[in-house]
Amino acid sequence: MVGMSLLRSAAAIAARLSPLKSGNAATNLLTRTIPQTEKVAVRWGHGKKMFVVKPSEFYDKRFLRLLQFYVLLTGIPVAIIVTCVNVFIGEAELVETPEGYEPEHWEYYKHPITRWITRSFYDSPVKDYEKMMAAIHMEKEKADLRLAELQVRRHMRQRGDGPWYHRETLDKDLIDHSHKSSPDN
Amino acid sequence: MPSDFEKDAYPEPPRQTPVVDKQTSLPNPALILSKLFYYSVDLPVTTFRDAIDGVRAKNKLVYYHQKFRRVPDLTDCQEGDYLCYYEAEMQWRRDYKVDQEIVKVIQERLGACQQREGPSYQQNCSKEIQQFNEVTKNFQSRYGDLGAYASGRKCLMKQKERMMAAQTQNA
Repeated sequence: MVGMSLLRSAAAIAARLSPLKSGNAATNLLTRTIPQTEKVAVRWGHGKKMFVVKPSEFYDKRFLRLLQFYVLLTGIPVAIIVTCVNVFIGEAELVETPEGYEPEHWEYYKHPITRWITRSFYDSPVKDYEKMMAAIHMEKEKADLRLAELQVRRHMRQRGDGPWYHRETLDKDLIDHSHKSSPDN
Repeated sequence: MPSDFEKDAYPEPPRQTPVVDKQTSLPNPALILSKLFYYSVDLPVTTFRDAIDGVRAKNKLVYYHQKFRRVPDLTDCQEGDYLCYYEAEMQWRRDYKVDQEIVKVIQERLGACQQREGPSYQQNCSKEIQQFNEVTKNFQSRYGDLGAYASGRKCLMKQKERMMAAQTQNA
């Protein structure tokens, strides 16, 4: 074993001293573990190449890459659309309402995208107002009827002459008046 | 600023261009710099703006100012007439918003005045200051501590308290 290492170091010295001799070429050296330092490809030439030991940046970089991708996936089309709308269509101008003209509910807004949203998705505020008034009216009628019912119950219970608060009594044809039918019984 | 602002409320400051009294034959660096600024910044920006306006002129949109009809107030409603209550409440809310905007406009006028006059604003824009104080005092007394759940009823009750306090003070 010691003889092998001696042989190896002798072959390395021979290779280093005369690299161009055919017996000393890298392929037919005794072992392949001898570093041929003068034959290493040095790319930039200056500065010692360091292997910096640091924790893996793979997961962080992957997260940021994916975040950027998914944000820009819808972000860029939205930005292009908004830019085109602002450049080609532009905001509205304030004018006096012409006589006898009732503007639609979206014609009270300035920006074209707001106008489109209120036109396509939202109900007009007049409709919402009327819906709320209708709901209030129905609740008011229900409340009034409930109060009236309480009043009616009170009266019928007190006076007893209405259709409510009847108590079942015995049929008067079943009463036997025979023991009281004449004054001398 | 939009082009339809009130010219009296925001007066232009007097121009301070000095009389040209050139005593040297050297070129004026201020003139050179202003020309440079004009050709490098002002002219491209103006041409860009005109180009965009030219494109926009084809699809011109207009918008209108919504005017609401006046409806009976909370004090003119019968008791139990919830529809009347609702309309009065909506009207009160619109008026509250309008009053907030009025206060903002007065505030902006005061700020513009201060900016215009510089260090001597306290004596030069006394009118704006007095107007601002009056408007904010009135706003505070009417809508002051009503809070986030303010309503027409609460404002009316606050007005009643104010009238009662005034009566006890007078009597």
